[in-house]
Amino acid sequence: MSAHGSIPVLRIGSTLLASIQVELRDTIADAFQEDILQTIAKTGATGLVIDITGLEMVDSYVARVLTNTGRMATLMGTHAVVVGMQPVVAATLVRMGFRMEGVLTALNVDAGLALVSELIARRHGAGQ
Amino acid sequence: MPLQYYMEKLYLDEAEVESRRHFFEITADDLTRLAGLHSFAEKHTDDIVEDLYRLILGHPEAKKQFTEHATLVRVKQAQRDYFLGLFSGRCDLAYVQDRLRIGIAHERVGVPPKWYLGAYARYLRSIFDRIAVELPDAAQARAAYQSIEKLVAFDTALAMDTYIAAQLGALERHQAAIRELSTPIIRLYQQVLLLPLIGTIDTHRADQLMEAVLLKVVEEQAHVIIIDIAGVPLVDTKVADHLLKTTEAVRLLGAQTILSGISPIIAKTIVNLGMNISAMHTKSRLAEALELAFEIIGKRVTSIAKNHPAAAAEATEKS
Repeated sequence: MSAHGSIPVLRIGSTLLASIQVELRDTIADAFQEDILQTIAKTGATGLVIDITGLEMVDSYVARVLTNTGRMATLMGTHAVVVGMQPVVAATLVRMGFRMEGVLTALNVDAGLALVSELIARRHGAGQ
Repeated sequence: MPLQYYMEKLYLDEAEVESRRHFFEITADDLTRLAGLHSFAEKHTDDIVEDLYRLILGHPEAKKQFTEHATLVRVKQAQRDYFLGLFSGRCDLAYVQDRLRIGIAHERVGVPPKWYLGAYARYLRSIFDRIAVELPDAAQARAAYQSIEKLVAFDTALAMDTYIAAQLGALERHQAAIRELSTPIIRLYQQVLLLPLIGTIDTHRADQLMEAVLLKVVEEQAHVIIIDIAGVPLVDTKVADHLLKTTEAVRLLGAQTILSGISPIIAKTIVNLGMNISAMHTKSRLAEALELAFEIIGKRVTSIAKNHPAAAAEATEKS
């Protein structure tokens, strides 16, 4: 659990859940990224679900922060999933040519958590 | 459509009315002159309106608009009010609203512009004939003609605008209906959607398709959407690009797209044009796409022993 910033990062088992409910201004976005990475380092979380259902608008900066946070988490050995993107956000990003490559997506928090645990189970399966 | 609809469609506010008055060269002098003719107008209203309806009722086709006596009485009264309105000495927003109401009524009853314009010409002749008698002074008569003509032209413009706005409104409604018909997204199974595309896809339609697909995926919380392009006659670079963009956007939502109905000719086109659509699942037949969709949601289509009715009956007999 983090004490920092306006976006709480919750811990569910070995997965972190961050639900973005406020408009991500640049400073908050940076603090958010830092916060997530620090929490991963501290807790050794194996999964990360970022819920953006509450975002009606995502500009290229925020999209890049989300993508990069996902990629960075992946580098740290955490399965990262962005969930709950609004249709209008998806349409805008794609029209801008922004594909958020390297980041997994799911429809909602539920599906995101399921995807993360499936990936973790698969990794354990492969390791055996 | 209500008055407010047309006021908005035609951007009719104080500034617009002022601008129209300016273009039709309607001055305060004109309005004063018209107000001064009010008693003349009152004296001749009935005559002029009767004269107008002699023209309308004398024309077999135009007459059809007024089969009922009650209607005729009502429109004649409206016509009197309209006529006196010309000599009210006003040409402001309230005047425009009055005029628009009449135009809307004409449009609603289905009076075509040709009757409207023809009747108006008769109207003017009627008025001018009487003015010539009433105002023997040529200069005065001429000034009166001009003032009337200006306001009549002003009114005619409003009427024509109303007709056009009504037609455009109908066109918009039809386009909306076509749009709806052109993106029929069906729920095939829990979490599985199907969009059978038929007909040509242009940029405009592709944009709508993407939006409709994304909204439906989120609304239904679907994991897979199958887009079947068997009914699309031509897939060029643009169409392929649109499909790719839709696939990407669907992925951002956390769902997957399967493209089915890829005919040999479409496969050839895609490869020959050097398009890379490896980001998409592609299948030639819808059945295969459906099987893949089931796989994605963790289900499988399997064969079971067929229970043929005849065989079952025979088995019962033997036992």
